[in-house]
Amino acid sequence: MARHRGPVLVDTNAILECWRIGAWRALTGGYAVETVEDCVTETQTGFQRRRPERQVDAAVLRASLAAPAHTVTDAELAELAVQAPDIALDVGERSLWAHVLTRADAWILCGPDKASLRFGVRLGFRERLVALEGLLGAAGYRSKSALKPAYTTKWLNATLGELVLSEGRAQP
Amino acid sequence: MATQLIGARIKALREERGLSQEELARQFGFKDRQILSAIETGERRVSAEELILAVQKLGASLDYFTDPFILVGEGKFSWRQTNVGPQRLSAYERNAGRWIAAFRRIAPQVGRETPLLRRALGLTRHHRFEDAAGAGERLAAEFELGDIPARSLAAVMERHFGVLVLMVEALEGISGAACRLPELDAVLINRHEVAGRRHFDLAHELFHILTWDAMPPDHVEEASETSKNRVEQLANSFASAVLMPTAVLDGYGDWSALRGNDLVAKLNATADQLDVTASALKWRLVGLGRLPLAAAREVRDAALRNNGHEGSETNPPPLFSEPFIEVIALGLKEGLISARRTAGLLDVSLDDLSELFRSHGVEAPDEL
Repeated sequence: MARHRGPVLVDTNAILECWRIGAWRALTGGYAVETVEDCVTETQTGFQRRRPERQVDAAVLRASLAAPAHTVTDAELAELAVQAPDIALDVGERSLWAHVLTRADAWILCGPDKASLRFGVRLGFRERLVALEGLLGAAGYRSKSALKPAYTTKWLNATLGELVLSEGRAQP
Repeated sequence: MATQLIGARIKALREERGLSQEELARQFGFKDRQILSAIETGERRVSAEELILAVQKLGASLDYFTDPFILVGEGKFSWRQTNVGPQRLSAYERNAGRWIAAFRRIAPQVGRETPLLRRALGLTRHHRFEDAAGAGERLAAEFELGDIPARSLAAVMERHFGVLVLMVEALEGISGAACRLPELDAVLINRHEVAGRRHFDLAHELFHILTWDAMPPDHVEEASETSKNRVEQLANSFASAVLMPTAVLDGYGDWSALRGNDLVAKLNATADQLDVTASALKWRLVGLGRLPLAAAREVRDAALRNNGHEGSETNPPPLFSEPFIEVIALGLKEGLISARRTAGLLDVSLDDLSELFRSHGVEAPDEL
């Protein structure tokens, strides 16, 4: 894929995976990476829902973002809730999408959770959903550690295909 | 169903606040109450602006109206416990309610509909203990619980009664609970109890599920096989008979002449085979007239503790249950619930989630 020039929004999963393979600097050096405050919180020990937890320096994380971490309002979360009340997202994923719905620029989003991807597909954002592998590759980064399957382009394409079919069937 | 959630919760809170539809419609700025009525019944979609109005006018959080994984005035619990304070129990109940609400929400989305009809026992509090025991005997026979009913009871409850059975990490002092929702029954069992107690609790809670309308159980009851409360006594009679039917006990020979160590040894060995507690077995034999009351009273409780074993069981059943985990896995696979949300719901890490799935023989989704 060609390197995207606009904002790249990342969720907690993507941040933690990037940090795990040591690619955060490459990602934020190659793109205007943004996220929401709830995702920053979820990268910190005690909130990662990972075992073992990894030390993610919040100051380094914040300093490398292209914009201050976004906060979301109840009104923005309400918009999200009425758009897809049947999809249960976690706090950070929900806030990220609530923020995304307020933007009119050329953002793309990297977040590999299937429920989050379903939300994106339902709202017609399939083309804006990208894999971490694709982002890092286009930025010229080759990781020594293998990415987990859900961060690869192959997995993303297969999953998006499945979700498009499923959402198509779900439409009235 | 998803769109009905917000409307149903607006209705629940409106009623709790004692507001009429006209009054709330006026506060919302609707031209008549019909709009609110349509929202409450789910006929009309709620807009984001209306949702925020509900938050502001009814003074509840956004999650209250939108989170499908909480129970809002719908779940009735009956806890079997010892010395758990009301505040701790209430906090635990909120958490347990999330598991049940999540199952209720996801199961129909993945093709696992909850039962259309409920089964019930035709018993009331005025029936005799023998009637409750008779119902237990018949249940064991009609649903073919076999020679060791304790081992097949949970599966029968799930398969034939549509009850969600969950083996849970519970606060110390909690044995189990029965929970009734409008569309689902659930039983929670502390998986760290010894096997005999777990099975007794399971059968006891089944009685509450099957008699809930006629004999609504108290919110909190003492976990005891010798309760003073009549409904609890009926539940205990039923549970004993389900787990130890006469026909099964008759296979263990004559008890009437046994005394002292011989009686203790046989009680403990038989209880082990039946996966019940030796204490429950003793009183069941007395109830059936197979063991004289005097002989039973001579047996010290300590001799029957843990069925005579040193220490307690260290091999609890896997957390939750296979049907529950299957539904959660399907929800993940279909992209209806996110992995992080699932991990939070079940209070495990994403990495432990894979292990939890495997413990039930359920395939873990790729993204974990």
